[in-house]
Amino acid sequence: MTFAFFNATFFDQAVLGITPILLAALAGTLSQRVGLFNIALEGQMLVGAFAAVAGSHFGGSLQAGVLAAVAAGALFSGLLAVGSALLRGNDIVIGISLNLLAAGLTSFLLRTLFGVSGTFSDSAMIGLPRLGVPGVTSLPLVGSALGHQNALVYLSWGLAVVIAVFLNRTPWGLRLRGIGEQPAAAVALGANATQYRLVVTLIGGALCGLAGLQLSLGSLTLFSENMTAGRGWIAVAAVMLGRARPLSVAAACVLFGLSDALGLRLQGEGLPNQITDSAPYVVTLAALLIAGLRQRRLTGVLS
Amino acid sequence: MTVAAEVRTHLTRHVGPLLPIVGAVAVGFGVCGLIALWVGLRPSLMFRQLIKGAVEGPQLFETVARAVPLVGMTLAAAIPLRAGIVNLGADGQLALGGCAAAIVALYFPAPDFVRLGVALAAGMAVGASYAALAAGGEIYAGVPLLLSTWLLTYPAKGLCGYLVRTSLRDPLTAWPSTSRIAVGARLGSLIPGTPVNQGLLLIAVVAIAVIFVDRRTSVGFELRLRGLNERFARYGGVSLRRQTLGVMIASGAIAGLVGSIMVLGSQFRYTDGALTAPQYSWSGTLAALLAGGEPVGSVIAAVLFAALQTGGFAMERSVEIPRVLTMVLQSVVILFLAMRGAIWKRP
Amino acid sequence: MVHQAFKLFESLSVWENVVYRREPRRGIFVDGARARAQVEELARRHGLPIDPKARVANLPVGVRQRLEILKALYREAQVLILDEPTAVLTPAEVSTLFTVMKSLAAAGCTILLVTHKLNEVMAVSDRITVLRDGRVSERLVTAETDPDEIVRAMTGHHVTLQIPKKPREPGKVKLETEGLVVEQHGRRVVDDVSLQVSGGEIVGIAGVAGNGQSELIEALMGLTPIAAGTVSLDERDVTHESVAAHRAGGLSYIAEDRARTATAATASATDNLAMGFHRTPPIAVRGLLQPQAMRTWARSLIERFDIKIASEDTLVGTLSGGNLQKVVTARELAHNAPVLIAEQPTRGVDVGAIAFIHAELLNERDRGHGILLVSAELSEILALADRILVMYEGRIVAEFARADADEATLGLYMAGGARV
Repeated sequence: MTFAFFNATFFDQAVLGITPILLAALAGTLSQRVGLFNIALEGQMLVGAFAAVAGSHFGGSLQAGVLAAVAAGALFSGLLAVGSALLRGNDIVIGISLNLLAAGLTSFLLRTLFGVSGTFSDSAMIGLPRLGVPGVTSLPLVGSALGHQNALVYLSWGLAVVIAVFLNRTPWGLRLRGIGEQPAAAVALGANATQYRLVVTLIGGALCGLAGLQLSLGSLTLFSENMTAGRGWIAVAAVMLGRARPLSVAAACVLFGLSDALGLRLQGEGLPNQITDSAPYVVTLAALLIAGLRQRRLTGVLS
Repeated sequence: MTVAAEVRTHLTRHVGPLLPIVGAVAVGFGVCGLIALWVGLRPSLMFRQLIKGAVEGPQLFETVARAVPLVGMTLAAAIPLRAGIVNLGADGQLALGGCAAAIVALYFPAPDFVRLGVALAAGMAVGASYAALAAGGEIYAGVPLLLSTWLLTYPAKGLCGYLVRTSLRDPLTAWPSTSRIAVGARLGSLIPGTPVNQGLLLIAVVAIAVIFVDRRTSVGFELRLRGLNERFARYGGVSLRRQTLGVMIASGAIAGLVGSIMVLGSQFRYTDGALTAPQYSWSGTLAALLAGGEPVGSVIAAVLFAALQTGGFAMERSVEIPRVLTMVLQSVVILFLAMRGAIWKRP
Repeated sequence: MVHQAFKLFESLSVWENVVYRREPRRGIFVDGARARAQVEELARRHGLPIDPKARVANLPVGVRQRLEILKALYREAQVLILDEPTAVLTPAEVSTLFTVMKSLAAAGCTILLVTHKLNEVMAVSDRITVLRDGRVSERLVTAETDPDEIVRAMTGHHVTLQIPKKPREPGKVKLETEGLVVEQHGRRVVDDVSLQVSGGEIVGIAGVAGNGQSELIEALMGLTPIAAGTVSLDERDVTHESVAAHRAGGLSYIAEDRARTATAATASATDNLAMGFHRTPPIAVRGLLQPQAMRTWARSLIERFDIKIASEDTLVGTLSGGNLQKVVTARELAHNAPVLIAEQPTRGVDVGAIAFIHAELLNERDRGHGILLVSAELSEILALADRILVMYEGRIVAEFARADADEATLGLYMAGGARV
């Protein structure tokens, strides 16, 4: 079972699965570092996914879809920005309501704009084209997965590195970290905390919009209700596991992407899909449990 | 204090907190009105249909029937929320509870009436145990309940879905569902000719119990103070772990009870996805957030949402407005409230 | 401005804290090497030695103070405001600080020292402005005034900060700990501590904040897990039991953080005063709350402790520091526990309330209860304690009877000097 089990399709699925989670998790990481607990990643992704399809359909081009996804993600995150960053409301309450609002809004718009319920798909829509990285594509097993992906996949990897460098090596990254860690100290030294929080939230919204774009136009070109299926929450878990450090968070995302692909692969082997669909969530839980238990043993802290 | 001062204190204390809720509802209606205009409908017509659809004639009983599971799920969300904990796993506990109740009602060897009682108890027990699992994760491994409860819903729904397609499958129906439950093991109708069943009595008892415990017992005192300041509660001798476990068990039990009521009182079988389709857990969570976890406010908010949703359904039939708009309305209300910062620093 | 509560980024390094928002750059990146060199130079020049690469979380409190001052100097402050800077310093560190202050002043810097300690004012200032009830009460010239005149300007009358103490023979041992060890992040923050508190005595723990006192107290209360050693109350071992068991065993606790730990700001005075009594009569009978009894209880405590509050339903978050401290003190004293732990019981409290609280503590002692007093105010310890222990780096390094203790010796042990 082993070698044939993990075939090229498996890795391809894994990479595809990682990307939206990674983009959303990077958004969550930035928020976390500036002191905001962003659990609205799910809703922002969903909005982005819908906007991508709407933009591509009505705008007639892929570019329109990309633009729409980024704009919609940023606009929707504006609500989060106002409520959480500006008015300092309760992050969790706002996050939950934004997620529900996104679900309701996208379902409503699906019906009124496209006249369907459930899923909208248009064969004329162009998805994100796959690129070919010379040299990499010829690697065994992972060649296609690593070398033959769309631009967004490569962008997500690049962003993970860029954000890591930004946070740790640039002045604005330092200031951002200070604001997140001890806002009183940062403000006392003249930092404009609100500005940083607003900007980070909006950029996060754009990133989530791209994550949604990957979902709806990345491999198949369709939008279905609630198609994010909890990936935004997995991204939240990734941020937690990676302790808001971009590269560690990326590693957590790889883990989840692999378990997602594993679930699909097991389904291919004949296991019932109700069970295999739970794979990424169970893996996430297990990872959190293991990390938590290790943490407890290290610091010797009980609740 | 003078009479004027007394009236003023009384108003600020009791009416004051209601004003932002009223304001939020107004904003919610305003936003939905704008959306309606955008898609070419008349808001006034829409709202008239909404209200008629909620309370006119037989619709009132629809609202009441819907309020039963909604109040239940709201209380399931409100109890942990009072302590500052968010239970996002109500859907999983609901499904497992309903499935367990169906299994007992169909296969437990006992006379009808006994089966009913055991089925209800089983639903509560299974829901409670599943919630306790998540509590254990938080207590022993620091996994935040917010995440663990959410993540656990997937395996729960998956398991029920799997069972109902295999060992529990009713071969006579086309969709994945158990067999019909015998008449004697069902929750009977409360008001004949309406969808209101005896589940109403059960939920009413639960609501009264929750309100009583919250307001008049030491346990409720500890819960409320923990929600206001967890460190203070711990310093004062409250066992946070016991409390966390306790509220999750209570929450899961109520969610399981609601699932059992839905299976035994209205659907009479367990069908994959049927319990979670009306999204009572999400509306319940929203209603609980609206009330800040306070039980009486939670019940009122739940009834309000029940009316909104029933009206929304009727509205969809007559004016062809998708009922998801009511979900949008509910979300906008919460959002507006959440933006008011100060009140909501608690949960 | 150097605040009373330090505003530092714990997980960042010293140099990152100093150059924050004025980072030397190389292109779009931060020039870390140049920053560290600048910090070292600045520190050397002003006699404030510090390691630029150290993580703030690992720094002892005295060094953090230095970091705060360096932050101000890096920004070329012309006016330096120091808010209660010596609260966390040993006497030796205080005199170093004064030397630094005087040299900065001589170099042209204007220094505004906010303090309630009369000896500091007399030692280092040139001019004094006294505030009372939010208004300027007096402007004095240091060379031409004396402590008594300052006190009069602060309170409007002579306030005796020394309350006469009746000598008392200590009774049975009520609280005892042996070989207590508390570990955090692999370090022993409480290192093999043994002490006893008997009825009718006040045991004071002197020490600069951050030497393990808070962790010791939390371990004694059951709030922190204990790595080794035992805690017994009235000869019953309560070492690994819950906070509730400790309180039931006869401990009550005035916590040092009154706003975040000892009260719930968004709860009423009634609720705050009922905490800890909410499971027993008269406030609760068989698990059921008695609202009327709760209000009566609250009102009686408010009256007895002269807490300035609109009504028992008022949220305590609106109260002043002194009144809030009275709420905490009132509640904890109402437990009538054999042992009371009082942690910084008068920090940030006005002089009148200090006298009140001190009198109440002495009253407890005279009634045969034991008190474990932890305070950063040496004058408070010297005024109240019968026996004085000194804590340094998690260990008890000295023990004195009151009669044998003086500020200089205590200060020496607090700073870790004269280790036997």
